[in-house]
Amino acid sequence: MTDSELHPYVEWIAREARRPVVTDQAARDRVMAAVRAEPAPLHRLSIWSRLLAPRAFTFSPAGGALLAAGLVGIGVFAGSMALNRDGRMSVGRPPVAVAPQLPVSNTLVRFVYVAPNANQVYVVGDFNGWDTTKTPLVRTASNGVWTVALPLSAGRHTYSFVVDGSWSADPHAPLAPDDGFGHANSVKLVRGGSSL
Amino acid sequence: MTHGVLRRAARALAPTAALLALSALPAVAQDPDPFAKLENNRFAVELLIDSANAAGLPSNPLREVALQGIAKHADGRKIVDAVRKELGLLRIAREALSTGDEQELTAAASVLRAGAKPTQLSTFRARKKGRTVLEPFIDWADFLQRGVPNEEAYTAITKLWQDGADDDTFHSLWTNVKADISQGLNPGTALQNRIREGPGRASPATVKPPEGQQENQSSR
Repeated sequence: MTDSELHPYVEWIAREARRPVVTDQAARDRVMAAVRAEPAPLHRLSIWSRLLAPRAFTFSPAGGALLAAGLVGIGVFAGSMALNRDGRMSVGRPPVAVAPQLPVSNTLVRFVYVAPNANQVYVVGDFNGWDTTKTPLVRTASNGVWTVALPLSAGRHTYSFVVDGSWSADPHAPLAPDDGFGHANSVKLVRGGSSL
Repeated sequence: MTHGVLRRAARALAPTAALLALSALPAVAQDPDPFAKLENNRFAVELLIDSANAAGLPSNPLREVALQGIAKHADGRKIVDAVRKELGLLRIAREALSTGDEQELTAAASVLRAGAKPTQLSTFRARKKGRTVLEPFIDWADFLQRGVPNEEAYTAITKLWQDGADDDTFHSLWTNVKADISQGLNPGTALQNRIREGPGRASPATVKPPEGQQENQSSR
């Protein structure tokens, strides 16, 4: 049993399909004239339809990995720009807290602290973001003199020393009142030029 | 053959690894957020900083107070209170001085914190161009810290200011009074004596530093 026997119309359809279509010349001319009369499609529309047309892309494994890495990089960059450290969205204002860097200045200011029995002395103040481990003093002699020279911008600077973990005001500088944390600070007024 | 495959794979993955490393750089290069330790109190501090900005007051002093509190391991509520107090003092300082840059307002706030009255600051409203209140206010605040009565400190500082004293004169006064106090003189008496004698005149007591201490090299 063949398919033609099962579906008698299939054979007829195939026969009709194979039969050449005979059109007269006048009909063909009418069709072509109608086609030519249609305005040509806009170029922009063509690009748009090309962009919208579904198609398949193929990548090599390395190319795919490169593309993925690039996307991850863009995501990390955008995330770091838009989010605060605690995950909240930034609202377009400058960061509230930026760790102050040592200001660029040619005014070198020497800090000195005498502590013969100390193991570590740090100077902590508005010029280093109140970082208790950023600016250590160096013991310069066997008599317990600790010192460091820092470039500071002109103006009023508030600071303190941290000696083996304990806060201590500079005994040779004006005192600033306690800001509410239980320790008085010291003040240094930098005018300009080196104080070394 | 296995080595060849591995080499080809490594060569193909090298750019990917480099790109990944580069993409991670912005996150790594950022400074750690110094306010992160404020946790639940961070929002309150940020609000106060915003208030300062909205009022046209400098907000850096508020950040400094917060950072200082964090460095000194103060309780978060205490840090918020200290920042709020600093904002209030900056407001009063600006009202009293009428004008002033960040440095002057911060110094004025410090004097207020030490115990000066807002009306006393108004004496320093009229300032010649180029003359700042930084040194007088630093010395004034220090005198109050060392126990000089406020009225006496105010009288001495304003007298020098109105006489047109320069920063060196104010600093000499501070050096001499501090030395006299460390010798055991009553703080108020020490200041009055120095004003009477002339603030810039050094005494033998100021020449020799206290035992066990070395004179700090100041920026002056």
